[in-house]
Amino acid sequence: MLITKIIGCLLVIISTTGMGMFFSNELRCRIEDLKELKKLILLLRGDIRYANTPLPEAISGIARRHNGGYETFLSKVSSKLNELSGITFSQIWKEAVEQELTKTSLTKKDKLHLVQFGESLGYLDKDMQMNTLDLYINQLEDETLELSKTVKEKAYLLNSLGIMAGIFISIIML
Amino acid sequence: MNTKDELLKILSLKLRTIFGKLKIDFEKLQEIRLRMNAPLLIIYENVEYFITEEAKLVKNPTLAVIVTKNEIRETMEYISNYSLYAFEDEIKQGFITINGGHRIGIAGKTIIEDDVIKGMKHISFINIRLAHQVKGCADPVLPYLINEKTDGIYHTLIISPPRCGKTTLLRDIIRQLSDGNTYLSGKSIGVVDERSEIGACYMGTPQNELGIRTDILDCCPKAKGMMMLIRSMSPQIIAVDEIGSKEDLEAIDYVIGCGCKLIATVHGSSIEDIKSKPVLSELVQKKLFERYVLLSNVNGIGHLDEIYDTVGRKLYADHA
Repeated sequence: MLITKIIGCLLVIISTTGMGMFFSNELRCRIEDLKELKKLILLLRGDIRYANTPLPEAISGIARRHNGGYETFLSKVSSKLNELSGITFSQIWKEAVEQELTKTSLTKKDKLHLVQFGESLGYLDKDMQMNTLDLYINQLEDETLELSKTVKEKAYLLNSLGIMAGIFISIIML
Repeated sequence: MNTKDELLKILSLKLRTIFGKLKIDFEKLQEIRLRMNAPLLIIYENVEYFITEEAKLVKNPTLAVIVTKNEIRETMEYISNYSLYAFEDEIKQGFITINGGHRIGIAGKTIIEDDVIKGMKHISFINIRLAHQVKGCADPVLPYLINEKTDGIYHTLIISPPRCGKTTLLRDIIRQLSDGNTYLSGKSIGVVDERSEIGACYMGTPQNELGIRTDILDCCPKAKGMMMLIRSMSPQIIAVDEIGSKEDLEAIDYVIGCGCKLIATVHGSSIEDIKSKPVLSELVQKKLFERYVLLSNVNGIGHLDEIYDTVGRKLYADHA
């Protein structure tokens, strides 16, 4: 009977520790995803600034060169844009953000910012377009910096919380 | 892709549905006018019609569907391929050429900086002019333009009021002279297409057939373009649309001086009308052109009225 209890407690501690590690890893992955997103927006800015490339062409070009977590997102946006099926850019962008970024570690807030960014793409003159892109890049930079500063402490906290929660539940169970 | 498909792709979803149901021959559709908070209007076979919500052509504007701000914005989004910023230069000129060679005229609030148009915002008026090529429309004119002795052509000026088919005629003359025909061998032609109307280039590719020996300088000011073409492409004939400025005149002098033949068009109703215009009168007085082709729309668009030679002798007349 005691052995069963000990095994049960061990399982609880292992699973809560796992959860703690998962959430702390999600934090690190979010930083990576935000950095990757920034890289893509920088590429988009370059295409618009130096070659005046229209969005469908620029996005499909970036999709071809990219093979990270945003590949399906970019491919979906580019194929939908090329269809010219009577859906506005912001709708296509929003739909793709909601459906194709589920495997990334971006938070709801990150996705909301990305959707808002999509709303101001395309229907502006070049200067305004550049300003919008720069603003979003700055926003991503700030977010990444803020996260990087606290990631160590937060990860440590989440790991510890995981172990402590396991021990706490085990004590109650015993 | 046919004209209907090309057209439907650039319209807002609501207008797309209406035009999709419309039972007309899209090849005969000339213009679509979208004006904010105004009835939807088309020019079909030279007649103006309003379109109802049920996709019916009517003459009464009160029955027509009203174009909203959102529809204009959405249509502009599709016209510009979701990227208005990529068409800044075209917007400054007031038109965008799309796939198929159709021209979209736009008007709104212009942004001026140091007396120069920097851009346009609040675009509220769109005029979709559908491109039509009329192959063979130059057939009755060509025999008068060809100088068999030199296996070349005469310097030609096509005079016509707006919407009488001068660009269509010029386009077919270019195509026939470039490919060669029964009258003469194919010539190397340089086209300065300042308003993208002749070749209707979309991303560098001409959407209209201009012949196998034609080089096109797209969206280039005529005067500069004519000089550039002579230096770079050594054309035998240079073709330009709607001349009229002092600079054009100097460039024409240069072209003729270089031994190149010139075909140009100009807005006007007669040689006398041209003579009354300050810059253009010089062209007639200097006897630079050897053939004057006059068009009108008395018997439908592109009706060939008269052809004169340098001294004003009538070579052809049809006042039917």
